[in-house]
Amino acid sequence: MKNSQRNVSCRPEASGSDFKAEQENVQELGQKVPVGSADYLAPKSLKKALEYRSRYGYKAVVIAGGTDIMVDYFERLSEVTSWLDLTKIQELKEIKFGPEEIRLGSMVTHRKLATDSRIRENLPLLAESASEVGAWQIQSRGTLGGNIVTSSPAGDTLAPLLAYQARFVLGSVSGQREVAAEDFFTGPKENIMTQEELLTEVVIPAPRKRTLSRWQKVGKRKAMIISSLTMALLLELDDKDEITAARAAYGAVAPTPIRAGELEDYLTGRKLREVSAGKAGELAVQEISPITDIRGTVAYRRQVTRDITEQALLDLQQE
Amino acid sequence: MEITFTINNEKRTLEVSPHQRLLDIIRKDLGLTAAKEGCGKGECGACTVLFNGEPVASCLVLAPQAEGAEILTVEGLLSREGELHPLQQAFLDAGAVQCGFCIPGSIMTGYRLIQDNPEPEREEIRQALAGNICRCTGYQKIVDAVQLAARRMQSGGDSS
Repeated sequence: MKNSQRNVSCRPEASGSDFKAEQENVQELGQKVPVGSADYLAPKSLKKALEYRSRYGYKAVVIAGGTDIMVDYFERLSEVTSWLDLTKIQELKEIKFGPEEIRLGSMVTHRKLATDSRIRENLPLLAESASEVGAWQIQSRGTLGGNIVTSSPAGDTLAPLLAYQARFVLGSVSGQREVAAEDFFTGPKENIMTQEELLTEVVIPAPRKRTLSRWQKVGKRKAMIISSLTMALLLELDDKDEITAARAAYGAVAPTPIRAGELEDYLTGRKLREVSAGKAGELAVQEISPITDIRGTVAYRRQVTRDITEQALLDLQQE
Repeated sequence: MEITFTINNEKRTLEVSPHQRLLDIIRKDLGLTAAKEGCGKGECGACTVLFNGEPVASCLVLAPQAEGAEILTVEGLLSREGELHPLQQAFLDAGAVQCGFCIPGSIMTGYRLIQDNPEPEREEIRQALAGNICRCTGYQKIVDAVQLAARRMQSGGDSS
């Protein structure tokens, strides 16, 4: 009998308002706890959110779109004692286009990135990668900031952010700091953020006029799939078709999303049509350190990294 | 805690706990059982509802996040007289329903697609419904149904 009760309680979130532990919980907190109570904090301003973050730190689980965190806590949602919900903070949903830079609030959704005409025009790598995150249902909720803070090496928007030299603004009650995307990620699902901080904005330098780019996601299906591999390749050209800057970023081929520096060095200073796509593919492979997991083997990831890099350059040479 | 939201054009106030999901309150507290729990992890689309006008996996939304939201489920598509929505009728006429489990989710995504794109191509329908998995694999007829509904809605009547 006791055991069966325990079995029932493994899905308290599904059991409606007559669940016992929940009733105790409600009594503890008083009968009618408004939204924004200690169990569920839903501030409307960033200032308030940072105050909560400072007061509760890791004790309050931060939730944005919920498309990763709700999966992490699947079947144990009741273990979360406090939520800090960012979805009511309008100031984190803004997109600002300046002459020098584009500023994206951390709560901008993938759907917004995928469909906003200015983003598609100016930051095609980001728009295309966002359009391949999960499917519509996930893109409606999932946020750019969530993708960054989750810090999965396979996060779809991360290689594009590296290629665009994005900077992340981390806010806290004591001020804010700005870090380069490359310095943010420290390992699989690990980053430099402290428990006082929230990611508030993503700052991307406005791309130059003659910028070519290629995004590629490889997965076992076309939708609703975690990437086996991602690539964001960006070339800035002068009017003589010489590559003045090259940035090649890859996801799911190392503990963090990475830039392929040697490949970038090889491309920089060459005329686009004189680049050897095969050589570029080889250089890319030398810089990755993939593992074998359910989404692909080491050999597969090395081969595909080579192939998609080579193909991307061949395509760009045709443009 | 108490939350207030609009579901199928009706304002509701409910007592919810912070660890309930939107899907749970829709099905259990409100008794609207069209939205289904398939995977519970946002991968299958059976729990798709419109949340502030966009399709979402309601298993990935915390109940309190619905505070102030506008939610639409298949139950809300019926006319006041209880007639089926053209999209529902088209799913029946096209033979798109096999076991039926994925259909409420597919209909909500299809409904949202037709709002944006009243004459969707087959490929556009496939793209839009990529997050609605049909384990009976009846995709052709689901695409047929969305196209049929779009055509009927364009012509403003039920004449196929």
